[in-house]
Amino acid sequence: MPTALKWMLFSLAVVLLGAFAFLSWMAGSPKDVYYMVRYAFPHMHTGNLKAGDQAPDAQLVALDGSATFRIREKTAGRPLVLVFGSFT
Amino acid sequence: MQIYNDYKDHADFLTIYIREAHPTDEWRMNSNEKGKDNVCYAQPKSISDRVAIANDFTKRFKYPVPFGIDEMSNAANDAYAAWPERLYIIDENGRVSYKGGNGPFKYDPKEVRAWLAKRYGEVKHPAPAPAAPASTEKKS
Repeated sequence: MPTALKWMLFSLAVVLLGAFAFLSWMAGSPKDVYYMVRYAFPHMHTGNLKAGDQAPDAQLVALDGSATFRIREKTAGRPLVLVFGSFT
Repeated sequence: MQIYNDYKDHADFLTIYIREAHPTDEWRMNSNEKGKDNVCYAQPKSISDRVAIANDFTKRFKYPVPFGIDEMSNAANDAYAAWPERLYIIDENGRVSYKGGNGPFKYDPKEVRAWLAKRYGEVKHPAPAPAAPASTEKKS
């Protein structure tokens, strides 16, 4: 194998190892890297919204499980702080 | 919650519960396990699952902030690119005024507080009193 190709493959291996080490540190462990790629990456998006855009509307369910309302119904002449999240 | 208490007379708040970030059947976290934070839930498969978890959350933390649950179509989550967590401020005209970074690393409630403080003034809280030193007097 030519020396240049060997060095290229070696450099690529070092970069991949470094990336894996960084992701392991970020995710918590090597096992978490798999879970992050499998379950988190497909759902993490930057989105197209930016300051100045009209805020999108959506229907939500109330805590009683039956009543519904829309986000726009909560914008009543005052700023509206939206806090998106989950329990886990 | 402190930001809510400080500014609820000036702004409205709405918490929107979206798909779980670390359910037990996907990317589960050790810190969620029983004996630690005890937050073990599978990814909800129905709106009733989401309603149940949302109610567990609000009851456990006596959560005072108005609450809504994203439907299983994930319409709110998709519209706001919210997962796993994100903050927004919508102004009086219904326009996005602040779009926070995506959690966990870029999620920063201090930015929301700064936005509200700039408009309505800063709300300061007294520093907590230092704990009383342990008594060194010998018991007779």
